[in-house]
Formats: sequence, C-alpha cells, structure tokens
Amino acid sequence: MIAVERLATTWALFQALLVEAMPFLLIGVTLSTLARWISPGGKWVRDLPAHPLLGPLSGAALGFALPACECGNVPMARHLLVKGAPIATALGFLFAAPVLNPIVLASTWAAFPNQPWLLAARPLGAVLIAVCLATLLRLLPEHELLQPALLEERRLSQPLAEVTLLERRSGLIGVSADTAVPTLEGSSRRPPLGQVLSHGGSEFLELALLLVMGCAIAALVQTVVPRQWLIAVGGTPTLSILSLMLLSLVVSVCSSVDAFLALGFAAQVTPGAVLAFLLLGPVMDLKLVGLFSILLRPRAILLTAGAASLVVLLIGQWVNLLLL
Amino acid sequence: MGQSAFALSPGRLKALALALWGVALLQSALSGRLDLLLRAVFHPLVWGSGILLLLLAAVEISGRWRDGSRSSGRWTSLLSIGAALAVLALPPRPSFADLAANRQANLLEEPGLSFVLPPAQRSLTDWVRLLRSEPDPRLYAGDAVRISGFVLPMPGEEPHLARLLVRCCLVDAVPVGLPVRWPAGEPQPRADQWLRLEGVMVSETVGERQRSVVEARLVEPIPRPRQPLEP
Repeated sequence: MIAVERLATTWALFQALLVEAMPFLLIGVTLSTLARWISPGGKWVRDLPAHPLLGPLSGAALGFALPACECGNVPMARHLLVKGAPIATALGFLFAAPVLNPIVLASTWAAFPNQPWLLAARPLGAVLIAVCLATLLRLLPEHELLQPALLEERRLSQPLAEVTLLERRSGLIGVSADTAVPTLEGSSRRPPLGQVLSHGGSEFLELALLLVMGCAIAALVQTVVPRQWLIAVGGTPTLSILSLMLLSLVVSVCSSVDAFLALGFAAQVTPGAVLAFLLLGPVMDLKLVGLFSILLRPRAILLTAGAASLVVLLIGQWVNLLLL
Repeated sequence: MGQSAFALSPGRLKALALALWGVALLQSALSGRLDLLLRAVFHPLVWGSGILLLLLAAVEISGRWRDGSRSSGRWTSLLSIGAALAVLALPPRPSFADLAANRQANLLEEPGLSFVLPPAQRSLTDWVRLLRSEPDPRLYAGDAVRISGFVLPMPGEEPHLARLLVRCCLVDAVPVGLPVRWPAGEPQPRADQWLRLEGVMVSETVGERQRSVVEARLVEPIPRPRQPLEP
C-alpha cells in the first residue's frame, strides 16, 4: 500500500517537474528558432569575442537579452554553438545566463529583499563559475567536448580557414545520403518561416525527451531520499554547503523560482549554503544532465559537474568565512 | 494499430508527438490537474505552451515544410508519443501525507501577517502563521476554529490537520499543520483523508511547553479541494 502511494507521489512529482519546465524549454526553443529566422547566417554569433575572459563575460551578458531559465538556455546555447560562436562565449552563456537574466534576478530580490549581499553574490558567483568552467572546458579539443552531431553542424558555420573539408563533411567530397548536409543551419539565406518552425518542432521533441528522462530521475530520487537528511546538518559550515549542493542537484527546480525554495532553508542553514544552492542548481542538476547530453559528450558533462561543484563549494566556504 | 502507427511517415509521427504534448498540457489545465501540480501564477505559461505546440503540429501536418536539417527521426517521435500518452492517461494522484512525511514542516520562513482575520474565518494556514508570529496559547484559548486540510500522521502523537504550501510547484511543497485533539470514542482519521473540522482552540502542555491545540467538536470528511496547494 505504501509502495503504491510512493509510486503515485513519484508520478505526481514527475508531472509537476515536467509541466513546470516544459514551457521554459519551449521558450528557449522559440528564442533559438526566432534567432535562426531573423539571422539565418548568424554572422553576429561568430563575431562574439573569443577571448578567454571576454568570451564568457559576453556570453553571460547575453542572458539579459535572452531571458530563459536553464532548460530554455540549452537550445539557445546549441544555436550559438551551431552558428560557430566561440566555445568560451557559448559556454559562458550556457552556465551564467540562467542566473544573469532579469527574471531570475527579480525573483531573487523578491525572495531576499533584506539580504543585499545575496543579490550581488549570486550574479557575481554565476559569472565566476562560468569563467572557470569555460576556461577549463575550452582546454578540451572540440571533438572531445561537443556531441558529434552538433560538431558536424558547427563545422558548416566555421570558415574553411579554421576547419578542413574532411572535418566539415560538407558533401563536397561524396557524402552519403544519411549524412546529408544540414541545409538549414548551413545557409545564410533567410529560410521560409514554416521551415524554421518545423526545425523548432524537431528540436523541441529531442529536448523534451531528454527532459522527461531528467524529470523522472529527479522525481524518483526526491521520493526515495528524505529531504530531512539533506538539511540535517544545518549550521555546520562545510557540511551545510555540501548538503544544499546535493539538494540543488536533486530538486531540479528552474532558476527562475529556486530563490523562493531557498528562502525556506535560509533560517536553518549557513549563508554560504544558501548561496551554494542558488549557484549550483542553474549550472547542474539531475533534470539538466539529459538536456546537456545534446550539447556535450559524457566526459565533458562529468567534468562540468565536478568543476562546478568545486567552485561552488569554495565560494560557499568563502562566504561563510566572511559572514559567520 | 501498431502496424498503422509504423506506417505513418516521420513527418506525421512528429506532428502527432507535438500535438499530443500540446493536448497533454492543455488537458492538464482544463481538467484541473495543474491546480494539483503548479501554482496558479504559472498556469498561463502552460496554456500558452499547449497552444504553441498545437500550432507547431499544424505546421508539420501541412507538410509543406519538411525539416530536412535534423535527423531526430522516428524513434524520438515514437518515444515522445509514448511519454505524452502516459501523461495524458495517468493523472497525478499524490499522497499528500506521504509527500509531507518526506519534508520538514518548519522550513518555511513565513512572512508576517498584514492583518488578522476573526478566529472563525482563519484558514489552517492563517492559524499556523499566527501561532508562529505570536505563539502564546493563552491568547487563543476558547477561539472558534473552522478549518479544512488533510490528515497528516505524526510520529509519537495524534495526527495533525495539515496543508501543503508551495512557492512554485509540488516539488517544493512543505507541510504546515495544527495539532488536533480528535473527538473521543471515534476512530482515528486515516492518513491523507481530507476533513473539515470545527472546534475551539485550547492550550495543552507537552513536556514543559504550552502549545495551542484544536479541540475538534465536528469532523466532516470532504473531497479534496480544487486548489489544494496554498501559496
């Protein structure tokens, strides 16, 4: 009987996560579809700075122009990568824009109006994490970082001075039908709106499937692991940070609303732990792992998770040292 | 049936998958499932997404624009169709008591009350917030109580009457509850059952501490409210 109830609750949590995240995913797909239609060649994307520091910073700043939470940012980041954006810039957008956008900053302010340090520390921390991750991940060769299908589309947008014809697989040298040239991404002519929408539909279905898997895992873990375990360590500086980092991975709520959830823990845990919760969730959680698999290779996802956790832990410790 | 599904072209399958996701979102909104899953402020997003997905399906059905640039393929569409059908066919039926048992009740940092309603008009959540801001039981002894909520079993004591508070969706729900002195001689209510309760607030001693408890005089089973989650 309890097992049946537990299963029913897991199913309800799964649906709650899904219906909450799916509109944001669709917003992201819509934005990337619109960008594809408005600027089919995507020349502006390739003009973004490739500098190791300016790249991630400019990518992070794009969050203000393209407000979406982390689910919606995945299709947009994919669009940037396909159009040939510098890796550091695209990764800066992927990791920082879920925090550096008006909706998330407003919700953080609404939840913590009396904690101005948090309003400053959250975006600054997000930028720091994005710079660190971008710096680390760009050390990997592109073929070890990006998914093969994405890399293939990206090659078409890169100038021949940067990639060879063989790397492009552009159809110039006898390509078979099943590896046909991705005509839409490669063209700089504005395609018909219907064709762009059809492409958006395909993108949505691929990402929705990954989202379904992520939500299923997150719902299952949430039902099995009692939340009390995760915040039982309350006032212990390091353990409280680690436990809320774990909670942010498990809970998987969107960055646009996670501040309200953090408000619930604020009185029980250290300030560094609250900040760690607000910083790690937008970069990595169980729901996102599936979505990231459309961009990054598994090794790169693992590296992202490990490096992000380490940076967030250090930021949390530093904040605790200052404020406790 | 399976034969005809496989006979569908990739474009038709994709249109069907998009349409089913659209219908699943719209049906969630129309059937009231959303009230159980998500705060009302997010409902328009779900409506909009459902309509947009149906439009995308219509574009695909028109067949004029075949997306040749991606090879998402038949399996992506088929798996999507399966997932959307499961969401459509199996409505969420969470056990609030089971969910609450996994959450800590004192997590929410409640905002202060801007004004205080007369006792008999206070909801369960109003009572909990009032008792947290001003916990002295002597202030409320003898006050009339008319509240509703679900039965939340508590370890080592009688079940509480509780509600779930959410900031965003069911995932972040946390329980708030009031201790109840149930009518003598009647069977204990079962977990997760929704009840309307009338009685008075009394004071009782637990250990060395005084606390307010609802002394139930009338207990009436009710169906789960249309909007069971509270902000």
